[in-house]
Amino acid sequence: MHPLFPQTTSAWPPKDTAAVLQEYCLGKLQVQIEAAGFGRIVKELRARRFDTWEWYQLARRADRLAAAQNQTQGLLALEHLRERWQETGVIPYEHQIRTAERVIHELHGQAILADEVGLGKTIEAGLILTEYMLRGLVKKVLILTPANLIWQWYYELYEKFGLAAGIQRTPWDWTYADVLIASLDTAKREPHASIVKSIVYDLLIIDEAHKLKNSSTASYRLVNSLQKKYCLMLTATPVQNDLKELYNLIGLIKPGQLGSYQSFKRRFMADKRTPKNPRELRQLLDQVMIRNRREEGTVRFTERIVHPIIVALGPREQEIYLRVSEFIKSRGRRAGPSSMLPLITLQREVCSSFLAVALTLEKMMASLAEAELAEAAALLKDLAEVKQNSKCDALERLVAQFSDKAIIFTEYRASQEYIRYRLERAGYRTLAFDGSLSRGQKQWVRHLFQREAQFLVSTESGGEGLNFQFCNLVVNFDLPWNPMRLEQRIGRVHRLGQMRDVHIYNLITKDTVEEHIMYLLHKKINMFESIIGELDAILLHLNLGKSFESEIMKIFLEHEEREQIQAQLDGLAEKILSSRDEIRAASWEG
Amino acid sequence: MSIRQLVFDFFALCGHRPIEVCPGVWQVKADDGLMQALDGWRAQGRLLQFSFQRDLAEAYGAELISPGSYRLNTILRLVQGQGLLSQAHIPHHLFHEPGIRKRVLAECAGTGRAYVLTSSAHFGQYLQLELSAQARGLQKKESLHTIVVNLSSGEVLKFAFPFHLLQAGSVPTEQIRRRKCSLKQAYLKAAAHVSELWSQDDQSWVEQALGKMAEEEKKLREFYQGRTSTAEFTAKLQELRGRLHPGLSIRALRGAILFTPLFRYRLVVVSASGRERVCTVMYDPIANLRELD
Repeated sequence: MHPLFPQTTSAWPPKDTAAVLQEYCLGKLQVQIEAAGFGRIVKELRARRFDTWEWYQLARRADRLAAAQNQTQGLLALEHLRERWQETGVIPYEHQIRTAERVIHELHGQAILADEVGLGKTIEAGLILTEYMLRGLVKKVLILTPANLIWQWYYELYEKFGLAAGIQRTPWDWTYADVLIASLDTAKREPHASIVKSIVYDLLIIDEAHKLKNSSTASYRLVNSLQKKYCLMLTATPVQNDLKELYNLIGLIKPGQLGSYQSFKRRFMADKRTPKNPRELRQLLDQVMIRNRREEGTVRFTERIVHPIIVALGPREQEIYLRVSEFIKSRGRRAGPSSMLPLITLQREVCSSFLAVALTLEKMMASLAEAELAEAAALLKDLAEVKQNSKCDALERLVAQFSDKAIIFTEYRASQEYIRYRLERAGYRTLAFDGSLSRGQKQWVRHLFQREAQFLVSTESGGEGLNFQFCNLVVNFDLPWNPMRLEQRIGRVHRLGQMRDVHIYNLITKDTVEEHIMYLLHKKINMFESIIGELDAILLHLNLGKSFESEIMKIFLEHEEREQIQAQLDGLAEKILSSRDEIRAASWEG
Repeated sequence: MSIRQLVFDFFALCGHRPIEVCPGVWQVKADDGLMQALDGWRAQGRLLQFSFQRDLAEAYGAELISPGSYRLNTILRLVQGQGLLSQAHIPHHLFHEPGIRKRVLAECAGTGRAYVLTSSAHFGQYLQLELSAQARGLQKKESLHTIVVNLSSGEVLKFAFPFHLLQAGSVPTEQIRRRKCSLKQAYLKAAAHVSELWSQDDQSWVEQALGKMAEEEKKLREFYQGRTSTAEFTAKLQELRGRLHPGLSIRALRGAILFTPLFRYRLVVVSASGRERVCTVMYDPIANLRELD
């Protein structure tokens, strides 16, 4: 503590509770005389602690300056965050600033932020939060989010807004932290629910608010019963299947805005998905919801340029590949869908590195039958004897052309280690980034990568909210089968704030399953150049997600011929594309 | 109000003197304690380079100090956390005592005559409060008020207090006259005075907020039709009113005890009929109040 600032132990504004000393009505005006500030003065007087007259006078001037700042109509947060954003490369977009201003000045802090994916809803929410905090209108804040986004929120708030929010771990945290990030699923369970309901929040932020579309769920009931002054709900898809979802969401923010459900149905619903009187509905929605759309020219993303690199396997590698594939198929047909997961892993690994296959096969051997065991052992022996790795050779040739930093993604730890070994041997500085690192270590690795190393070899597509916009080269050493994971990989570098075009290099082994995956992701659904973040909405709509890999594996197991496989993949692509069109043409938007 | 002056005064009070390294750009060597007070416990002492002009700040990599900027906000927060309670006084010698004595004697003598037996110098107490009044409802307005309350009479001062005469520091305790009004009473009176000022202002925002509240309340009642006796409805209604009901919150930001001179005279007053009586008069030159002690 600085000897000059004994008061800094209690931050400004003070944390005292807002007890009221006297309350009365003056005409129609309700007057509250607060006890808090005065209580502190009396406490100081009793202890005979007097500050110097100079500090007192300076503080009075500071009060006036702060009050004058608070009277400004624009956003204080923009100026406050300017330097931080210059450092972190955040560029606030016009639509984000407009949204924050509208929420604060017109919607009085009660809004659904329903921008289309990738337009930066989190930035908007953070901007509103910072603005309210700077103006002293908000102190106690709760951010409810799906569990997998907690750390992403933490980093976003810390890096972009300088807010060190707490993360809920124990029941004690609910009352302790002023700005708390918690999982919605945790909050709705006891003993947490009772505690959360008893706290009065100045601001409540709910991410992925479409999870509250059903009013009979525990999550909905919890959010409905929370005591809050301001509330922001973030979702890109306020309507997925039924207009009632929209009605329910608005009921949380402003009950009665759309009347009773019966009258809403009568006035605004032609059927589940088609609204009546769209103009009137739009007017009512405008009072609680802000939706920015891409075609309004809100954001211009840089280009994604895809470079497929076809790698031909050597004769020995090709032979091993076919043997492993045959082993997988025969076992898949025998075992059925229950043991699909290790087979999917094996089939994917065989396109990455034989080292990874060997490790998985070794683990699998414990559960194999006598007949299969001999075949697996022989395979394992042959795998160990393959010295060539054509993919790594191709990678070495590729990175030799790079003059900038690149992230090399692989799905497997064994492949990651091998890639690093090969690149280090070739004289490059590399870093490993994977799930075994703690949060702090990940931050540190990111820092080192930004400043020193040339290549980051990562197994983590998500990266827990860590972004690498300073880099614009991505190498997919192997391709994940699930487009969501691929999107997450690319999304680490290609997001708001990326100033350069992003080059994506895909290493594809010829005549393998990887060629089919590339056909589906690149040629059919144009995954690499699709709209950022759109896929999660599509997969959610199709109810796919984690089962995506199984769908693909089923196709591979059930069909032998290349044409047959492609026809099946075409069908799957068709489903994805029509779902995308349906989402884009959401008719409720009028 | 100059931001520049505030920043320089702040550094001066911290014992630092910024050096102008080139026109418009200053440097100050901030120690660990100062940086931690500004930026949090993890911050370390460093050379703080700042400017009040954006172009210069960007050209020299200095921190910009301008309305709303991060550095200005940290300084304001730190300064606002200080000076919660202070004290100052007005010394007696700033008043012409013979003149006061003459005036007191003249007023007390009436048609007779009066003379001073003894005289002494004392200090009366005033409470200066910095109050923030914040309007709640549709509009968020804030105003700051400096209110001075006489702790002897409990009255809010309606005239301008001579702040320019104040000098830092306290006075000998034996010279201080006990206050008759409690601090709480003084605070409540000051707050009442501020609310009175607000009520004399334009009240259209109150009407506007009430109109909006009635409209929203109607919608809410329609939504909860037939369920208005439920706890959920009550909670929602309370939330709505809490958000939209026009109100005024008054809180004290800081305060100071101001010691002002009091002149005490023990007089012998001889009336025209020749009757003598002894009385003690206390004169407050700030309020121009004379009272029998």
